[in-house]
Amino acid sequence: MESSKRLLDKLLTDEKLSYCQNCGTCTSSCPMARVIPDTYNPRLLLQRAHLDLDNLTNGEELWLCSWCYRCTERCPQGIQPTEIFLLTRNFASEKGNIPPNPRRIIKSIVETGRSMPVDEFINELREDYGLPPVIGVSEKTMEEQRRIMGDEFMRRLEK
Amino acid sequence: VSLEYVLYPGCVASVREIGYELSVRNVFEKLGIRLRKSDDFNCCMPACLVHSVDYVRGLALTSRNLTVAEEMGLPMLTLCSSCFGNLSRAKYLLDENPELRRDVNKILGLAGRRYQGKAQVEHVLTVLHKDYKVEKLKEKVSNPLSGIAAAPFHGCHIFMPAKYSHFDDPEFPGKLDTLISATGAEVVDYSEKTSCCIGCGSFFGDVSEEASILMVDKILASAKEKGADCIVTTCPFCIMQLEIGQIKLRDEGKDYGLPVLHYVDLLGLSMGMDPKRLGFELRRVSAAPVLEKL
Repeated sequence: MESSKRLLDKLLTDEKLSYCQNCGTCTSSCPMARVIPDTYNPRLLLQRAHLDLDNLTNGEELWLCSWCYRCTERCPQGIQPTEIFLLTRNFASEKGNIPPNPRRIIKSIVETGRSMPVDEFINELREDYGLPPVIGVSEKTMEEQRRIMGDEFMRRLEK
Repeated sequence: VSLEYVLYPGCVASVREIGYELSVRNVFEKLGIRLRKSDDFNCCMPACLVHSVDYVRGLALTSRNLTVAEEMGLPMLTLCSSCFGNLSRAKYLLDENPELRRDVNKILGLAGRRYQGKAQVEHVLTVLHKDYKVEKLKEKVSNPLSGIAAAPFHGCHIFMPAKYSHFDDPEFPGKLDTLISATGAEVVDYSEKTSCCIGCGSFFGDVSEEASILMVDKILASAKEKGADCIVTTCPFCIMQLEIGQIKLRDEGKDYGLPVLHYVDLLGLSMGMDPKRLGFELRRVSAAPVLEKL
């Protein structure tokens, strides 16, 4: 966590979020803001990440970023909203504020090693088309994964 | 040229888009591109999910895959643009930020691993365009697809942000268009060509799922208006979004009937391959309108 905090500080200060011109390039580039403009506005989220992180991490808007990177590509000041939102979500996660759907998918990924479950039917279908079975996640890989994740990661998912 | 990669299949292609995996394997085999297997990869750990819990640990989980590829000494071939984006991002962040690389390597060390900076991340499109090369692909085209109007849909992570993916112009991408032209198909220019399908943002709840359908509607309407026979994507997640969204819209009374193909499907057809070997039977939206025009 020390590391995440340091990174966020770096993105918020070194990357000059305080010099955001409020030009709205991020919002006008954002596919989410285009279709649900009343609910999602990355320009305002950035301001809140800077001015009121605590309040921002209590809500769910933070989780609506579709991770397309258009804002990051286009910001004239070189601010990286996509990365800032990921880091900001770390603070929401630390408080236990992960919305139910993402929480369920993340748990499945870290517990089974994949984001989509593999059942018998899938491997039968693959066999019908001459494809090898889905490559399994070995116990060795799962063990390495657990070591890399550490205990704190799972604790945040259980909160 | 002898091209060889270690296959990084990813969950969407190997579980939900089996037809696409089939298509890549058969087309690559016919092109003489060799794919090796590894049992050691883990999930790419999508940054929008896993890194949201812990940025640095998440990055370490993603980077573990880079160390597996380094061990094998082969470039990785990703099938999914999101795997490609996620792994390219990890590589960029570790290569450009020594402090972060040190932190991540400290964590990887707990699993007996270390990222050395040698891993190379590729995607089906980058391999075809950059490694195999368009001129050579043209030589393989035996049945030019003249008369097929193909609407390119680039997706996001294959070209954006450019500093992670190093593939195409982030504002005016054109490499997919060039690859489509090589098959003899006509490239359709339409306003949603470089839009996002909101696939990665679709699973956070009802609001985001609804948003993704609104976007799919815009994309399909725009391609249809410009006379497209099909949409041609670079990513299996985009295929899923555009097909499933299309079916939901059909249920609401809006029937676009627009087949969604991956670029390799189009390439395979132009090489005279049997649509069955390209997974056409497994498409959710019938590709018949395209096949009838051949």
